[in-house]
Amino acid sequence: MAKVDVQLTEKVASLARLALSKEEKSSFTEQLGQILGYIEKISEVNVDGVEPMINPHDQILSLREDVAAEPFLNEEGNPKILDSAPDQLYDGFKVPQIL
Amino acid sequence: MNSFSKFSEIREGYRSKKFSPVEVTQFYLDQIKKSKHNAYLDICEDRVLDQAKKVEKIIFSDKDAFEKYPLLGMPMGIKDLLNIDGVKTTCASKMLENYVAPYTATCVERLEKAGALSLGKLNLDEFAMGSSNENSAFGPVEHPTHPERVPGGSSGGSATAVGADLCLTSLGTDTGGSIRLPASFCGVVGYKPTYGRVSRFGVVAFASSLDQVGPFAKTVEDAALVAEVMSGKDIYDSTSSSESVGAWSSEISKPMDWKSLKVGVPKEYFVEGVEDSVRKSVEESLRWFESKGATLVDISLPHTEYAVSTYYVVAVSEASSNLARFDGVRFGTRPDGANESATLDEFYEKVRSQFGAEVKRRIILGTYALSSGYYDAYYSKACKVRRLIRNDFDEAFKKVDVIAGPVAPTVAFKRGAMLENPLQMYLMDIFTIPASLSGLPALSVPCGTQEDGLSIGLHLIGSPFADEKVLKVAHHFQKERYHG
Repeated sequence: MAKVDVQLTEKVASLARLALSKEEKSSFTEQLGQILGYIEKISEVNVDGVEPMINPHDQILSLREDVAAEPFLNEEGNPKILDSAPDQLYDGFKVPQIL
Repeated sequence: MNSFSKFSEIREGYRSKKFSPVEVTQFYLDQIKKSKHNAYLDICEDRVLDQAKKVEKIIFSDKDAFEKYPLLGMPMGIKDLLNIDGVKTTCASKMLENYVAPYTATCVERLEKAGALSLGKLNLDEFAMGSSNENSAFGPVEHPTHPERVPGGSSGGSATAVGADLCLTSLGTDTGGSIRLPASFCGVVGYKPTYGRVSRFGVVAFASSLDQVGPFAKTVEDAALVAEVMSGKDIYDSTSSSESVGAWSSEISKPMDWKSLKVGVPKEYFVEGVEDSVRKSVEESLRWFESKGATLVDISLPHTEYAVSTYYVVAVSEASSNLARFDGVRFGTRPDGANESATLDEFYEKVRSQFGAEVKRRIILGTYALSSGYYDAYYSKACKVRRLIRNDFDEAFKKVDVIAGPVAPTVAFKRGAMLENPLQMYLMDIFTIPASLSGLPALSVPCGTQEDGLSIGLHLIGSPFADEKVLKVAHHFQKERYHG
Protein backbone atom coordinates (compact mmCIF):
# COMPACT_ATOMS: atom_id res chain seq x y z
CA MET A 1 0.00 0.00 0.00
CA ALA A 2 1.24 3.47 -0.86
CA LYS A 3 1.52 6.07 1.86
CA VAL A 4 -1.84 7.82 2.04
CA ASP A 5 -1.23 11.55 2.22
CA VAL A 6 -2.87 14.62 0.76
CA GLN A 7 -0.73 14.36 -2.39
CA LEU A 8 -2.04 10.85 -3.09
CA THR A 9 -5.64 11.95 -2.53
CA GLU A 10 -5.10 14.89 -4.89
CA LYS A 11 -3.51 12.69 -7.53
CA VAL A 12 -6.26 10.07 -7.50
CA ALA A 13 -9.01 12.72 -7.37
CA SER A 14 -7.53 14.38 -10.44
CA LEU A 15 -7.47 11.03 -12.29
CA ALA A 16 -11.21 10.78 -11.53
CA ARG A 17 -11.75 14.44 -12.52
CA LEU A 18 -12.98 15.33 -9.04
CA ALA A 19 -12.09 18.72 -7.59
CA LEU A 20 -11.94 18.52 -3.80
CA SER A 21 -12.20 21.34 -1.28
CA LYS A 22 -9.46 21.77 1.32
CA GLU A 23 -11.70 20.18 3.97
CA GLU A 24 -12.53 17.24 1.70
CA LYS A 25 -8.85 16.66 0.94
CA SER A 26 -8.07 16.47 4.61
CA SER A 27 -11.05 14.32 5.71
CA PHE A 28 -10.81 12.01 2.67
CA THR A 29 -7.09 11.47 3.24
CA GLU A 30 -7.74 10.36 6.81
CA GLN A 31 -10.70 8.16 5.84
CA LEU A 32 -8.93 6.64 2.83
CA GLY A 33 -6.01 5.77 5.07
CA GLN A 34 -8.37 3.94 7.45
CA ILE A 35 -10.26 2.17 4.67
CA LEU A 36 -7.15 1.14 2.72
CA GLY A 37 -5.55 -0.01 5.96
CA TYR A 38 -8.55 -2.28 6.50
CA ILE A 39 -8.65 -3.47 2.88
CA GLU A 40 -4.97 -4.41 3.20
CA LYS A 41 -6.25 -7.57 4.95
CA ILE A 42 -6.72 -9.26 1.59
CA SER A 43 -2.97 -9.23 1.01
CA GLU A 44 -2.59 -12.01 3.59
CA VAL A 45 -4.78 -14.45 1.62
CA ASN A 46 -2.94 -17.06 -0.43
CA VAL A 47 -4.52 -17.00 -3.89
CA ASP A 48 -1.97 -19.12 -5.75
CA GLY A 49 -3.71 -20.92 -8.59
CA VAL A 50 -7.10 -19.30 -7.87
CA GLU A 51 -9.09 -18.17 -10.89
CA PRO A 52 -10.40 -14.63 -10.51
CA MET A 53 -14.19 -14.36 -10.22
CA ILE A 54 -15.52 -11.48 -12.28
CA ASN A 55 -19.16 -12.52 -12.61
CA PRO A 56 -21.02 -14.61 -10.00
CA HIS A 57 -22.08 -17.34 -12.40
CA ASP A 58 -19.24 -17.51 -14.89
CA GLN A 59 -21.91 -17.78 -17.54
CA ILE A 60 -21.14 -17.08 -21.14
CA LEU A 61 -22.86 -13.81 -21.77
CA SER A 62 -25.58 -14.14 -24.35
CA LEU A 63 -25.50 -11.67 -27.17
CA ARG A 64 -28.60 -10.71 -29.08
CA GLU A 65 -28.69 -10.37 -32.84
CA ASP A 66 -26.94 -7.24 -34.03
CA VAL A 67 -30.12 -5.68 -35.36
CA ALA A 68 -31.14 -2.09 -34.73
CA ALA A 69 -34.20 -1.83 -32.48
CA GLU A 70 -36.82 0.91 -32.57
CA PRO A 71 -35.42 4.07 -30.98
CA PHE A 72 -37.30 5.75 -28.10
CA LEU A 73 -38.88 8.78 -29.74
CA ASN A 74 -40.77 11.67 -28.16
CA GLU A 75 -44.04 13.17 -29.44
CA GLU A 76 -42.15 15.31 -31.97
CA GLY A 77 -40.42 12.23 -33.33
CA ASN A 78 -37.02 13.16 -31.88
CA PRO A 79 -34.88 10.80 -29.81
CA LYS A 80 -36.13 10.92 -26.21
CA ILE A 81 -32.64 10.37 -24.94
CA LEU A 82 -31.84 13.98 -25.89
CA ASP A 83 -34.67 15.41 -23.80
CA SER A 84 -32.82 14.92 -20.54
CA ALA A 85 -29.42 16.03 -21.79
CA PRO A 86 -28.07 19.22 -20.22
CA ASP A 87 -28.15 20.88 -23.63
CA GLN A 88 -29.19 19.80 -27.13
CA LEU A 89 -29.19 21.17 -30.65
CA TYR A 90 -31.06 19.60 -33.61
CA ASP A 91 -30.56 15.86 -33.05
CA GLY A 92 -27.35 15.96 -31.03
CA PHE A 93 -25.92 16.72 -27.61
CA LYS A 94 -24.75 20.32 -27.43
CA VAL A 95 -21.50 20.98 -25.61
CA PRO A 96 -19.60 24.20 -24.88
CA GLN A 97 -16.84 25.21 -27.26
CA ILE A 98 -13.98 23.95 -25.09
CA LEU A 99 -15.07 20.37 -25.70
CA MET B 1 -59.82 2.36 5.07
CA ASN B 2 -57.26 0.62 7.26
CA SER B 3 -53.80 -0.41 6.19
CA PHE B 4 -53.21 -3.82 4.66
CA SER B 5 -50.73 -6.49 5.61
CA LYS B 6 -50.87 -8.64 2.50
CA PHE B 7 -52.00 -8.52 -1.10
CA SER B 8 -54.67 -11.20 -0.68
CA GLU B 9 -56.61 -8.78 1.58
CA ILE B 10 -56.62 -6.16 -1.15
CA ARG B 11 -57.50 -8.65 -3.87
CA GLU B 12 -60.42 -9.99 -1.80
CA GLY B 13 -61.66 -6.43 -1.31
CA TYR B 14 -61.59 -5.85 -5.08
CA ARG B 15 -63.36 -9.14 -5.76
CA SER B 16 -66.11 -8.49 -3.25
CA LYS B 17 -66.42 -4.82 -4.36
CA LYS B 18 -65.68 -3.69 -0.81
CA PHE B 19 -63.38 -1.07 -2.27
CA SER B 20 -61.96 -0.20 -5.68
CA PRO B 21 -58.39 0.14 -6.99
CA VAL B 22 -58.86 3.92 -7.22
CA GLU B 23 -59.94 4.04 -3.56
CA VAL B 24 -56.96 1.95 -2.48
CA THR B 25 -54.61 4.13 -4.54
CA GLN B 26 -56.13 7.27 -3.02
CA PHE B 27 -55.72 5.78 0.45
CA TYR B 28 -51.99 5.25 -0.11
CA LEU B 29 -51.57 8.67 -1.76
CA ASP B 30 -53.16 10.27 1.32
CA GLN B 31 -50.89 8.23 3.59
CA ILE B 32 -47.83 9.39 1.62
CA LYS B 33 -48.89 13.05 1.79
CA LYS B 34 -49.46 12.86 5.55
CA SER B 35 -46.17 11.08 6.18
CA LYS B 36 -43.05 12.86 7.46
CA HIS B 37 -40.66 10.01 6.69
CA ASN B 38 -39.24 11.55 3.49
CA ALA B 39 -39.57 8.10 1.92
CA TYR B 40 -40.80 9.35 -1.46
CA LEU B 41 -38.82 11.64 -3.76
CA ASP B 42 -41.60 11.85 -6.35
CA ILE B 43 -45.28 10.92 -6.21
CA CYS B 44 -46.68 9.81 -9.57
CA GLU B 45 -50.20 10.89 -8.67
CA ASP B 46 -51.79 11.39 -12.12
CA ARG B 47 -50.00 8.41 -13.62
CA VAL B 48 -50.96 6.00 -10.83
CA LEU B 49 -54.58 7.17 -10.74
CA ASP B 50 -54.74 6.50 -14.50
CA GLN B 51 -53.31 3.04 -13.88
CA ALA B 52 -55.88 2.43 -11.13
CA LYS B 53 -58.76 3.43 -13.42
CA LYS B 54 -57.50 1.00 -16.07
CA VAL B 55 -57.30 -1.74 -13.44
CA GLU B 56 -60.91 -0.99 -12.45
CA LYS B 57 -62.01 -1.40 -16.04
CA ILE B 58 -60.20 -4.73 -16.31
CA ILE B 59 -61.81 -6.02 -13.10
CA PHE B 60 -65.21 -4.87 -14.32
CA SER B 61 -64.94 -6.30 -17.82
CA ASP B 62 -62.92 -9.51 -17.46
CA LYS B 63 -64.12 -12.28 -15.17
CA ASP B 64 -60.70 -13.94 -15.26
CA ALA B 65 -58.91 -10.67 -14.51
CA PHE B 66 -57.20 -11.85 -11.30
CA GLU B 67 -55.91 -15.01 -12.95
CA LYS B 68 -54.56 -13.13 -15.96
CA TYR B 69 -52.96 -10.31 -13.99
CA PRO B 70 -51.26 -11.65 -10.85
CA LEU B 71 -50.53 -8.18 -9.41
CA LEU B 72 -53.81 -6.54 -10.40
CA GLY B 73 -54.16 -3.41 -8.28
CA MET B 74 -51.09 -3.96 -6.08
CA PRO B 75 -49.92 -0.55 -4.77
CA MET B 76 -46.12 -0.39 -5.06
CA GLY B 77 -43.27 2.06 -4.55
CA ILE B 78 -40.18 2.00 -6.77
CA LYS B 79 -36.63 2.84 -5.66
CA ASP B 80 -35.51 5.97 -7.48
CA LEU B 81 -32.64 4.12 -9.13
CA LEU B 82 -35.07 2.40 -11.52
CA ASN B 83 -36.44 4.04 -14.65
CA ILE B 84 -40.09 4.72 -15.35
CA ASP B 85 -40.72 6.29 -18.76
CA GLY B 86 -41.49 9.99 -18.41
CA VAL B 87 -40.77 10.07 -14.67
CA LYS B 88 -37.66 11.50 -13.02
CA THR B 89 -34.88 9.09 -11.96
CA THR B 90 -32.71 11.12 -9.61
CA CYS B 91 -30.72 8.37 -7.84
CA ALA B 92 -31.01 10.81 -4.89
CA SER B 93 -28.23 12.83 -6.54
CA LYS B 94 -27.94 16.49 -7.50
CA MET B 95 -26.29 15.17 -10.65
CA LEU B 96 -29.61 13.74 -11.90
CA GLU B 97 -31.99 16.14 -10.16
CA ASN B 98 -33.84 16.87 -13.42
CA TYR B 99 -33.21 13.64 -15.32
CA VAL B 100 -36.38 12.21 -16.89
CA ALA B 101 -36.11 8.55 -17.91
CA PRO B 102 -36.71 7.85 -21.62
CA TYR B 103 -37.88 4.26 -21.03
CA THR B 104 -39.10 1.92 -18.28
CA ALA B 105 -36.88 -0.65 -16.55
CA THR B 106 -37.74 -4.20 -17.62
CA CYS B 107 -38.57 -5.26 -14.05
CA VAL B 108 -40.98 -2.34 -13.53
CA GLU B 109 -42.51 -2.92 -16.96
CA ARG B 110 -43.22 -6.57 -16.11
CA LEU B 111 -44.83 -5.61 -12.79
CA GLU B 112 -47.02 -2.97 -14.42
CA LYS B 113 -48.06 -5.37 -17.18
CA ALA B 114 -49.17 -7.75 -14.42
CA GLY B 115 -51.36 -4.98 -12.99
CA ALA B 116 -49.12 -3.31 -10.39
CA LEU B 117 -49.72 0.35 -9.54
CA SER B 118 -46.58 2.51 -9.20
CA LEU B 119 -47.29 5.15 -6.55
CA GLY B 120 -43.97 6.93 -6.87
CA LYS B 121 -40.20 6.92 -6.57
CA LEU B 122 -38.53 6.09 -3.27
CA ASN B 123 -35.61 7.80 -1.55
CA LEU B 124 -32.22 6.07 -1.24
CA ASP B 125 -28.57 6.70 -0.51
CA GLU B 126 -27.09 8.60 -3.46
CA PHE B 127 -26.47 6.10 -6.29
CA ALA B 128 -27.28 3.32 -3.75
CA MET B 129 -24.06 4.00 -1.83
CA GLY B 130 -24.66 3.78 1.90
CA SER B 131 -26.11 1.75 4.74
CA SER B 132 -28.20 4.36 6.55
CA ASN B 133 -29.99 6.42 3.89
CA GLU B 134 -28.27 9.52 5.23
CA ASN B 135 -26.41 10.01 1.93
CA SER B 136 -29.43 11.22 -0.07
CA ALA B 137 -29.01 14.66 -1.64
CA PHE B 138 -32.68 15.20 -0.78
CA GLY B 139 -32.50 14.49 2.94
CA PRO B 140 -32.42 11.34 5.06
CA VAL B 141 -35.29 8.87 5.36
CA GLU B 142 -36.82 8.27 8.77
CA HIS B 143 -37.18 4.84 10.30
CA PRO B 144 -40.89 3.86 10.15
CA THR B 145 -41.42 3.77 13.92
CA HIS B 146 -38.33 5.36 15.54
CA PRO B 147 -37.75 8.81 13.99
CA GLU B 148 -34.33 9.27 15.61
CA ARG B 149 -33.08 6.05 14.01
CA VAL B 150 -31.96 5.30 10.46
CA PRO B 151 -33.99 2.90 8.29
CA GLY B 152 -30.82 1.29 6.92
CA GLY B 153 -29.66 1.68 3.35
CA SER B 154 -29.31 2.01 0.60
CA SER B 155 -32.97 1.10 -0.08
CA GLY B 156 -34.11 2.98 3.05
CA GLY B 157 -37.10 4.61 1.36
CA SER B 158 -38.28 1.22 0.06
CA ALA B 159 -38.12 -0.35 3.54
CA THR B 160 -39.71 2.58 5.38
CA ALA B 161 -42.49 2.87 2.79
CA VAL B 162 -43.57 -0.73 3.43
CA GLY B 163 -43.06 -0.46 7.20
CA ALA B 164 -45.03 2.80 7.46
CA ASP B 165 -47.87 1.77 5.11
CA LEU B 166 -46.91 4.16 2.32
CA CYS B 167 -47.28 1.28 -0.19
CA LEU B 168 -47.96 -2.43 0.15
CA THR B 169 -44.78 -3.67 -1.53
CA SER B 170 -41.77 -1.93 -3.03
CA LEU B 171 -38.69 -2.50 -5.14
CA GLY B 172 -35.16 -1.95 -3.94
CA THR B 173 -31.72 -2.95 -5.13
CA ASP B 174 -29.08 -4.91 -3.25
CA THR B 175 -25.38 -4.61 -4.08
CA GLY B 176 -23.83 -5.52 -0.72
CA GLY B 177 -26.92 -5.72 1.51
CA SER B 178 -29.00 -2.72 0.44
CA ILE B 179 -32.27 -4.68 0.57
CA ARG B 180 -31.62 -7.00 3.50
CA LEU B 181 -30.14 -4.47 5.92
CA PRO B 182 -33.02 -1.95 5.71
CA ALA B 183 -35.54 -4.82 5.81
CA SER B 184 -33.94 -6.04 9.04
CA PHE B 185 -33.89 -2.53 10.56
CA CYS B 186 -37.49 -1.74 9.57
CA GLY B 187 -39.11 -5.06 10.46
CA VAL B 188 -40.22 -6.02 6.94
CA VAL B 189 -39.32 -8.78 4.49
CA GLY B 190 -36.56 -7.94 2.00
CA TYR B 191 -35.41 -10.40 -0.62
CA LYS B 192 -32.40 -10.31 -2.94
CA PRO B 193 -32.83 -12.88 -5.72
CA THR B 194 -29.93 -14.84 -7.21
CA TYR B 195 -27.71 -12.54 -9.30
CA GLY B 196 -29.09 -12.59 -12.85
CA ARG B 197 -32.68 -13.48 -11.92
CA VAL B 198 -33.93 -9.94 -12.47
CA SER B 199 -32.93 -7.83 -15.47
CA ARG B 200 -30.85 -4.75 -14.69
CA PHE B 201 -32.02 -2.98 -17.85
CA GLY B 202 -33.22 0.45 -16.75
CA VAL B 203 -31.54 0.19 -13.35
CA VAL B 204 -28.81 2.81 -12.87
CA ALA B 205 -25.57 0.89 -12.35
CA PHE B 206 -23.53 1.00 -9.16
CA ALA B 207 -21.48 -2.24 -9.30
CA SER B 208 -22.68 -4.30 -12.22
CA SER B 209 -21.41 -7.73 -11.09
CA LEU B 210 -23.26 -7.32 -7.78
CA ASP B 211 -26.39 -5.20 -8.37
CA GLN B 212 -29.68 -7.07 -8.12
CA VAL B 213 -33.28 -5.82 -7.91
CA GLY B 214 -35.58 -7.32 -5.28
CA PRO B 215 -38.84 -6.74 -3.41
CA PHE B 216 -39.83 -5.51 0.04
CA ALA B 217 -43.13 -6.70 1.54
CA LYS B 218 -44.74 -7.48 4.86
CA THR B 219 -45.07 -11.14 3.95
CA VAL B 220 -42.70 -13.55 2.24
CA GLU B 221 -45.61 -14.64 0.06
CA ASP B 222 -46.02 -11.14 -1.42
CA ALA B 223 -42.25 -10.82 -1.90
CA ALA B 224 -42.27 -14.15 -3.76
CA LEU B 225 -45.16 -13.02 -5.96
CA VAL B 226 -43.45 -9.78 -6.98
CA ALA B 227 -40.13 -11.57 -7.59
CA GLU B 228 -41.77 -14.30 -9.65
CA VAL B 229 -43.42 -11.77 -11.97
CA MET B 230 -40.30 -9.71 -12.66
CA SER B 231 -37.70 -12.51 -12.89
CA GLY B 232 -36.51 -14.18 -16.09
CA LYS B 233 -34.38 -13.60 -19.16
CA ASP B 234 -34.38 -10.18 -20.75
CA ILE B 235 -32.65 -9.68 -24.09
CA TYR B 236 -31.62 -6.18 -23.00
CA ASP B 237 -29.46 -7.47 -20.11
CA SER B 238 -26.85 -9.98 -21.23
CA THR B 239 -26.20 -10.99 -17.59
CA SER B 240 -29.86 -11.89 -16.98
CA SER B 241 -30.31 -15.61 -16.54
CA SER B 242 -32.41 -17.92 -18.68
CA GLU B 243 -32.83 -20.29 -15.72
CA SER B 244 -36.56 -21.10 -15.49
CA VAL B 245 -38.66 -19.23 -12.95
CA GLY B 246 -41.16 -21.31 -10.98
CA ALA B 247 -44.59 -20.43 -9.60
CA TRP B 248 -42.83 -19.42 -6.39
CA SER B 249 -45.74 -17.72 -4.66
CA SER B 250 -47.93 -20.83 -4.84
CA GLU B 251 -45.16 -23.45 -4.55
CA ILE B 252 -43.92 -22.05 -1.23
CA SER B 253 -47.36 -22.55 0.37
CA LYS B 254 -47.10 -26.31 -0.02
CA PRO B 255 -46.38 -28.16 3.24
CA MET B 256 -42.84 -27.95 4.53
CA ASP B 257 -40.94 -31.16 5.12
CA TRP B 258 -39.07 -29.89 8.17
CA LYS B 259 -37.48 -33.25 8.96
CA SER B 260 -35.46 -33.26 5.75
CA LEU B 261 -34.33 -29.63 6.11
CA LYS B 262 -30.71 -28.98 7.01
CA VAL B 263 -29.97 -25.46 8.23
CA GLY B 264 -26.33 -24.39 8.18
CA VAL B 265 -25.12 -22.21 11.06
CA PRO B 266 -21.81 -20.51 10.16
CA LYS B 267 -19.63 -19.93 13.19
CA GLU B 268 -18.23 -16.79 11.52
CA TYR B 269 -21.68 -15.14 11.76
CA PHE B 270 -21.89 -15.45 15.54
CA VAL B 271 -18.84 -13.49 16.58
CA GLU B 272 -17.93 -10.66 18.91
CA GLY B 273 -19.58 -7.43 17.82
CA VAL B 274 -23.00 -8.96 17.30
CA GLU B 275 -25.37 -7.29 19.77
CA ASP B 276 -26.78 -9.57 22.47
CA SER B 277 -30.39 -8.89 21.47
CA VAL B 278 -29.64 -9.82 17.86
CA ARG B 279 -27.79 -12.97 18.80
CA LYS B 280 -30.57 -14.03 21.18
CA SER B 281 -33.31 -13.50 18.63
CA VAL B 282 -31.47 -15.36 15.88
CA GLU B 283 -30.56 -18.24 18.20
CA GLU B 284 -34.18 -18.55 19.29
CA SER B 285 -35.17 -18.74 15.63
CA LEU B 286 -32.63 -21.51 15.06
CA ARG B 287 -34.06 -23.43 18.02
CA TRP B 288 -37.52 -22.95 16.55
CA PHE B 289 -36.33 -24.63 13.32
CA GLU B 290 -34.98 -27.45 15.45
CA SER B 291 -38.27 -27.78 17.32
CA LYS B 292 -40.02 -28.27 13.97
CA GLY B 293 -37.73 -31.18 13.17
CA ALA B 294 -35.06 -29.46 11.06
CA THR B 295 -31.40 -30.34 11.62
CA LEU B 296 -28.95 -27.58 12.55
CA VAL B 297 -25.51 -28.15 11.05
CA ASP B 298 -22.42 -26.25 12.24
CA ILE B 299 -20.57 -24.98 9.21
CA SER B 300 -17.62 -22.71 8.52
CA LEU B 301 -17.25 -19.98 5.91
CA PRO B 302 -13.58 -19.31 6.61
CA HIS B 303 -13.08 -16.39 4.22
CA THR B 304 -15.89 -14.30 5.76
CA GLU B 305 -13.33 -12.05 7.46
CA TYR B 306 -12.06 -10.93 4.04
CA ALA B 307 -15.48 -10.23 2.56
CA VAL B 308 -15.79 -6.54 3.44
CA SER B 309 -12.27 -5.80 2.13
CA THR B 310 -12.96 -7.74 -1.05
CA TYR B 311 -16.28 -6.01 -1.55
CA TYR B 312 -14.86 -2.53 -1.05
CA VAL B 313 -12.32 -3.18 -3.80
CA VAL B 314 -14.69 -4.84 -6.29
CA ALA B 315 -17.69 -2.56 -5.71
CA VAL B 316 -15.79 0.75 -5.75
CA SER B 317 -13.75 -0.29 -8.80
CA GLU B 318 -16.92 -1.05 -10.74
CA ALA B 319 -18.54 2.12 -9.39
CA SER B 320 -15.68 4.40 -10.44
CA SER B 321 -15.94 2.96 -13.92
CA ASN B 322 -19.76 3.10 -14.08
CA LEU B 323 -19.93 6.66 -12.77
CA ALA B 324 -17.41 7.93 -15.34
CA ARG B 325 -20.43 8.38 -17.63
CA PHE B 326 -21.53 11.43 -15.61
CA ASP B 327 -19.54 13.91 -17.65
CA GLY B 328 -22.16 16.61 -18.14
CA VAL B 329 -22.79 15.79 -21.81
CA ARG B 330 -25.56 13.20 -21.95
CA PHE B 331 -27.27 13.17 -18.56
CA GLY B 332 -28.32 15.43 -15.79
CA THR B 333 -27.42 18.98 -15.06
CA ARG B 334 -24.46 21.28 -15.57
CA PRO B 335 -23.88 23.60 -12.64
CA ASP B 336 -23.61 27.37 -13.13
CA GLY B 337 -20.33 28.34 -14.71
CA ALA B 338 -19.57 24.92 -16.22
CA ASN B 339 -20.19 26.18 -19.76
CA GLU B 340 -17.65 28.95 -19.20
CA SER B 341 -14.85 26.53 -18.27
CA ALA B 342 -11.45 27.30 -19.78
CA THR B 343 -10.41 23.66 -20.13
CA LEU B 344 -12.06 20.29 -20.55
CA ASP B 345 -10.79 19.10 -17.16
CA GLU B 346 -12.25 22.16 -15.48
CA PHE B 347 -15.61 21.43 -17.14
CA TYR B 348 -15.62 17.83 -15.89
CA GLU B 349 -14.58 18.89 -12.41
CA LYS B 350 -17.37 21.46 -12.18
CA VAL B 351 -19.96 18.95 -13.37
CA ARG B 352 -18.72 16.20 -11.07
CA SER B 353 -18.68 18.52 -8.05
CA GLN B 354 -22.40 17.68 -7.87
CA PHE B 355 -21.63 14.23 -6.42
CA GLY B 356 -22.05 13.89 -2.65
CA ALA B 357 -19.20 13.00 -0.26
CA GLU B 358 -19.77 9.23 -0.13
CA VAL B 359 -19.95 8.94 -3.92
CA LYS B 360 -16.73 10.95 -4.30
CA ARG B 361 -15.05 8.82 -1.64
CA ARG B 362 -15.94 5.62 -3.47
CA ILE B 363 -14.94 6.95 -6.89
CA ILE B 364 -11.54 7.94 -5.47
CA LEU B 365 -11.12 4.57 -3.78
CA GLY B 366 -12.07 2.74 -6.98
CA THR B 367 -9.85 4.90 -9.15
CA TYR B 368 -6.97 4.15 -6.79
CA ALA B 369 -7.64 0.39 -6.84
CA LEU B 370 -7.69 0.36 -10.64
CA SER B 371 -4.77 2.73 -11.17
CA SER B 372 -1.51 1.70 -12.73
CA GLY B 373 0.73 -0.12 -10.27
CA TYR B 374 -2.08 -1.03 -7.85
CA TYR B 375 -4.40 -3.09 -10.09
CA ASP B 376 -2.77 -6.44 -9.21
CA ALA B 377 -2.62 -5.75 -5.49
CA TYR B 378 -6.23 -4.66 -5.27
CA TYR B 379 -8.71 -5.44 -8.05
CA SER B 380 -7.06 -8.57 -9.39
CA LYS B 381 -6.38 -9.91 -5.89
CA ALA B 382 -9.92 -9.12 -4.71
CA CYS B 383 -11.42 -11.05 -7.66
CA LYS B 384 -9.46 -14.10 -6.56
CA VAL B 385 -10.47 -13.77 -2.91
CA ARG B 386 -14.04 -13.40 -4.18
CA ARG B 387 -13.70 -16.85 -5.74
CA LEU B 388 -12.55 -18.28 -2.38
CA ILE B 389 -15.56 -16.72 -0.64
CA ARG B 390 -17.86 -18.36 -3.19
CA ASN B 391 -16.00 -21.69 -2.80
CA ASP B 392 -16.77 -21.57 0.95
CA PHE B 393 -20.48 -21.43 0.12
CA ASP B 394 -20.24 -24.17 -2.51
CA GLU B 395 -18.64 -26.45 0.09
CA ALA B 396 -21.28 -25.57 2.69
CA PHE B 397 -24.18 -26.25 0.32
CA LYS B 398 -22.94 -29.80 -0.15
CA LYS B 399 -24.05 -30.33 3.46
CA VAL B 400 -26.97 -27.96 4.01
CA ASP B 401 -30.08 -26.61 2.23
CA VAL B 402 -30.03 -23.07 3.58
CA ILE B 403 -27.71 -21.01 5.74
CA ALA B 404 -29.12 -18.94 8.63
CA GLY B 405 -27.69 -16.14 10.74
CA PRO B 406 -28.08 -12.47 11.58
CA VAL B 407 -28.56 -9.88 8.82
CA ALA B 408 -26.62 -7.17 10.65
CA PRO B 409 -24.62 -7.03 13.87
CA THR B 410 -27.02 -4.44 15.38
CA VAL B 411 -30.53 -3.07 15.25
CA ALA B 412 -31.23 0.29 13.55
CA PHE B 413 -28.68 2.78 14.87
CA LYS B 414 -29.16 6.46 15.65
CA ARG B 415 -28.96 9.00 12.90
CA GLY B 416 -25.53 10.60 12.63
CA ALA B 417 -23.86 7.88 14.69
CA MET B 418 -21.49 6.75 11.94
CA LEU B 419 -21.33 9.69 9.53
CA GLU B 420 -17.75 10.59 10.39
CA ASN B 421 -16.56 7.00 10.25
CA PRO B 422 -17.29 5.39 6.88
CA LEU B 423 -15.35 2.23 7.72
CA GLN B 424 -17.57 1.55 10.74
CA MET B 425 -20.60 2.00 8.48
CA TYR B 426 -19.12 -0.40 5.88
CA LEU B 427 -18.81 -3.07 8.58
CA MET B 428 -22.60 -3.06 9.06
CA ASP B 429 -22.70 -5.14 5.87
CA ILE B 430 -20.32 -7.82 7.11
CA PHE B 431 -22.95 -10.60 6.99
CA THR B 432 -24.77 -9.50 3.83
CA ILE B 433 -21.72 -8.94 1.62
CA PRO B 434 -20.56 -12.58 1.27
CA ALA B 435 -23.85 -13.65 -0.39
CA SER B 436 -23.66 -10.58 -2.67
CA LEU B 437 -20.11 -11.35 -3.79
CA SER B 438 -21.21 -14.93 -4.45
CA GLY B 439 -24.41 -13.98 -6.30
CA LEU B 440 -26.64 -16.03 -3.97
CA PRO B 441 -30.34 -15.64 -3.17
CA ALA B 442 -30.77 -14.24 0.35
CA LEU B 443 -33.45 -12.56 2.40
CA SER B 444 -34.27 -10.93 5.69
CA VAL B 445 -37.41 -12.00 7.53
CA PRO B 446 -38.42 -10.42 10.87
CA CYS B 447 -37.56 -12.70 13.80
CA GLY B 448 -38.04 -10.53 16.86
CA THR B 449 -37.87 -7.11 18.47
CA GLN B 450 -35.89 -5.58 21.28
CA GLU B 451 -37.70 -4.20 24.34
CA ASP B 452 -37.70 -0.75 22.73
CA GLY B 453 -39.55 -2.14 19.71
CA LEU B 454 -36.62 -2.13 17.27
CA SER B 455 -36.72 -5.02 14.81
CA ILE B 456 -34.30 -7.85 14.22
CA GLY B 457 -34.08 -9.80 10.97
CA LEU B 458 -33.19 -13.42 10.33
CA HIS B 459 -30.90 -13.90 7.36
CA LEU B 460 -31.50 -16.91 5.12
CA ILE B 461 -29.11 -17.67 2.25
CA GLY B 462 -29.51 -20.28 -0.49
CA SER B 463 -27.37 -21.84 -3.19
CA PRO B 464 -27.41 -20.26 -6.69
CA PHE B 465 -30.94 -20.27 -8.17
CA ALA B 466 -32.42 -21.98 -5.08
CA ASP B 467 -34.66 -18.92 -4.70
CA GLU B 468 -37.77 -21.03 -4.19
CA LYS B 469 -36.20 -23.00 -1.35
CA VAL B 470 -35.11 -19.87 0.53
CA LEU B 471 -38.54 -18.28 0.05
CA LYS B 472 -40.30 -21.47 1.16
CA VAL B 473 -38.32 -21.80 4.40
CA ALA B 474 -38.85 -18.10 5.15
CA HIS B 475 -42.57 -18.29 4.33
CA HIS B 476 -43.16 -21.22 6.69
CA PHE B 477 -41.02 -19.60 9.36
CA GLN B 478 -43.11 -16.42 9.18
CA LYS B 479 -46.46 -18.16 8.87
CA GLU B 480 -46.09 -21.00 11.38
CA ARG B 481 -44.10 -19.09 13.98
CA TYR B 482 -46.10 -15.87 13.97
CA HIS B 483 -49.46 -16.64 12.47
CA GLY B 484 -50.02 -20.17 13.76
